[in-house]
Amino acid sequence: MDFDWTEEDRAYRARIREFLKKELPSDWDEISRHGPGSREQTEFSLQFCPKLAEAGLLVPHWPQEWGGGDRPTWEHFILGEELWAAGEPRGAQYMNVNWIGPTLMRFGTEEQKRRFIPEMVAGKAIWCQGFSEPNAGSDLASLRTRAERDGDDYVINGTKIWTSYAAMAEHCFLLARAGAGQGKAGIAIFIVPMSTPGIEVRSIPSLIGHGDIHETFFTDVRVPAAARLGEEGEAWSIINYSLANERVGIPRYELSTRVLNDMVSELKQRGDFSDPVVQARAGSAAAACEAARMLVYRTVDMKARGDIVGAEASMARVAVIEADHAVTDFGMEFLPDAFNGRSHPAFLAHHERAIVTGIAAGAAEIQLGLIARHWLDLPKGVH
Amino acid sequence: MRLHPNDDQAMFLSALDQMMQGKSAAWRTSPQWDRYEWSDAFDRELEESGFLDCAIEETLGPVAAAEMTFRLATLPIAVEAAASALLRPKFAADLPRPLAIIESDHAQAIRFLPVARSVLSLGGDSIMSALIEPHAVASVESLYAFPMGVLKKALDWRPLNADPEAVRAQWRVALAAELAGALKGALASVVSHVRERHQFGRPLGSFQAIQHRLAGAATKVEASYWLTLKAAQSGDSIDAALALGYAQDASTKVVYDLHQFMGAMGLTLEHPLHRWTYRARLLRSSLRGSINNLRTVAVERWRAA
Ligand SMILES: Cc1cc2nc3c(=O)[nH]c(=O)nc-3n(C[C@H](O)[C@H](O)[C@H](O)COP(=O)(O)OP(=O)(O)OC[C@H]3O[C@@H](n4cnc5c(N)ncnc54)[C@H](O)[C@@H]3O)c2cc1C
Repeated sequence: MDFDWTEEDRAYRARIREFLKKELPSDWDEISRHGPGSREQTEFSLQFCPKLAEAGLLVPHWPQEWGGGDRPTWEHFILGEELWAAGEPRGAQYMNVNWIGPTLMRFGTEEQKRRFIPEMVAGKAIWCQGFSEPNAGSDLASLRTRAERDGDDYVINGTKIWTSYAAMAEHCFLLARAGAGQGKAGIAIFIVPMSTPGIEVRSIPSLIGHGDIHETFFTDVRVPAAARLGEEGEAWSIINYSLANERVGIPRYELSTRVLNDMVSELKQRGDFSDPVVQARAGSAAAACEAARMLVYRTVDMKARGDIVGAEASMARVAVIEADHAVTDFGMEFLPDAFNGRSHPAFLAHHERAIVTGIAAGAAEIQLGLIARHWLDLPKGVH
Repeated sequence: MRLHPNDDQAMFLSALDQMMQGKSAAWRTSPQWDRYEWSDAFDRELEESGFLDCAIEETLGPVAAAEMTFRLATLPIAVEAAASALLRPKFAADLPRPLAIIESDHAQAIRFLPVARSVLSLGGDSIMSALIEPHAVASVESLYAFPMGVLKKALDWRPLNADPEAVRAQWRVALAAELAGALKGALASVVSHVRERHQFGRPLGSFQAIQHRLAGAATKVEASYWLTLKAAQSGDSIDAALALGYAQDASTKVVYDLHQFMGAMGLTLEHPLHRWTYRARLLRSSLRGSINNLRTVAVERWRAA
C-alpha cells in the first residue's frame, strides 16, 4: 500500500494539465454550463476530441491493435481525473472510450470493428445509448422494443426515452427483443444508424438544459442482420460486461472538488469564510469528496490487478452521489445567489450533474441493493 | 498508486488474523456483567508478538499499524492498540504499555487508564509523558465499553521530544482506525443476525428497508477504512483530520441503525453488539468530535486559497 503516484504518473498528469491549459478555450466554462448532452457541448467535443486523439490522450488504454497505446489502467484513470476536474470536455465521447469501443472490440464482428472503431479513435464518432423505455427504467429487462426478423433484415418498432445525444448521434447502441427468448434471454443488441428511415427524435425540455435528453421513436426501422452485435439473447451478458466497465472508475468527485474549491474562494472573497459553521460544512463536503475518491481508487486498483469489480463499484457510486450532493448543498446553502444569472457557470454545471448522479446509469437504490446482496451477502428479497 | 498490501504486509496481517482467532480474544460475557472485557492474556500475546512495533519497520510502516489497529478494533474485547501501534514506536518507544492518552487539560475519565502503565498527554504546547505509579488511578464506572479511570494524584510528567502537531495528527489516524474497526465489527455482527433471524416468514435481511440502510452503513465504513489507511501512509495532517472527522460523522448515523436491526436482543449484555457501539460512542467525541475535526480540515486546506 503506498497511496501515492509514481514519478511517471505525475509527469503524465502534468502533461495533461498543460494540454488542457493550451487547448481549452477561455469560454469553456460557459460552454460546459450546458448539460453534458447539449448541442453546445457535443459540438465542442467534436472539435476537442480529435485534438485529444492527436495528442494520444483519447484512448491510451486501448490495445495498440485498435489505435490505443496499451497504457496501464491507472494512467487512463489519471486522464479521466484531469478531464473531470476540467468539467469533462469529452462530451458523448466518454461512452465510446469507456465502453462502446471496448464492447465492440470484444464482441463485434471483424467488419463491425473495422467500420466503427477508427472513427472512435479519431474522436469523431457520436453514439447514443438506446436502453431505457417509458416502461423500462431500473427494470431494464422489461423493455419492449422489438426487432422482428424479416429475411436478411430486422424490422424494429418501439420507443426509447432519456436518450442522451440522440439528436446528434450517428449510431445508436440499441437494445431490442429479438427471437423467442423470454425476459433477459430475449434481448439483442443492434447498431442502428440514426439516419435510418423510421427513426424520430424529440427533445425533452429538462432541468439539465434543452437538447440533453430525448424520446426516440422507432417505426418499421429496417436494418440488416449484420447490424446485430452478438447473438440473439446475448445482449444481457454483453451489457453486463460493458456496464461493469462503465461503472468502474468514473472520477466525478474531481468536478465536485474543483467546484468546492471555487465556492470556498468565492466565500473568502466575500469575507464569509471565517464563520466556523461555514468552515465545518466545507470540511464535511471535502470529506465526502475524498471518501468518494478513495472508494473509486479501490475499484481502479482492483481493475488494474485484473480482479473482477463487483459491489465495490456500487459503493463507489453511492459515495460519489453523496459527494455531489454535499458540494451542491454547500453552495446553495451559503452562496444561494451564485446560482442565479451566469456569473458562476461551473456551479450551475455541477448542480445539473449532481441532480442526475443518483438516477442515471443505475439509480442509487439499485446500487444499495447490489451492495446488500453482494457485499453483505444478505438474502434476496422481494424487490 | 497501490492500495493492496505488499508481501510483508500481507504476511503480517495474516499472522495477526490468526492471533485474533485465539481463545483470549474471543467474545465472552463478563461475569459481573461489566460493560467491557479486558484480556490481560491477549494484551500480553500482542505485546510479545512484537506486532505493535510494526509502524517503524520499513516494509510494514504506519499503514500496517493502522490496518492492525482497525482489525483489532473489530474484536468484541477492548484492546489497547491505537496508541501502542501508532504513537509509541515513533514517539515514545521507551514507555511501558498499555498506554493511555489524555487529549485535553479538562479533568475527565480516560480510557485504558486502569490498565495502563504509562500515559501521554497531548493537550498542551508540548507532549508530556509519565509512568503510572501504583495507586495513582481510580476506576470510573462508565457506560462506554472501555476500562475508564481518572488520575488520583499528580504524576511525574516529562516533556517528550516530539512535534505536538505530528503526534496529534498521528493520534487522529489511530482513532480513525479504531473507530472504523469498531463500526466494522458492529456491522458484521448485525449483518449475521439479520441473515439468520426470520420474521413474517422471511429473513430480516431480505427486507429492503433494512438492506438499504445496512448497505449505506457498509459504504461509510469502507470509506472510513480507506481514508484512514491513506492518512496513515501520507502522514498528512489534513488527511488525518479528514479521516477521523468522516468516521466520527459516519458513526453517529450508523450506530442507532445497528441497534435498531438487532431488536431487543441488541439491548442485552449477552450479545456483544454494545461492546462495539459504546466504544464507537466514545471515539466519536475524541478530539472534540466530527464537526471540529472537519472544521480543522477546512481551515488547513484553504488557509491560503
Ligand atoms: C441525464 C440522464 C441521461 C440519461 N441518458 C440515458 C441514455 O442515454 N440512454 C438510456 O437508455 N437511458 C438514459 N437515462 C435513463 C437512465 O438509465 C434511467 O433514468 C435509470 O435507469 C432509472 O430509470 P427511471 O428514470 O425510469 O427511474 P425508475 O426505474 O422509475 O426509478 C425511480 C426511482 O425508483 C427507484 N427504484 C426502482 N426500482 C427499485 C427497486 N427495485 N427497489 C427500490 N427502489 C427502486 C429508483 O432507484 C429511483 O429512485 C438517462 C437518465 C438521465 C437522468
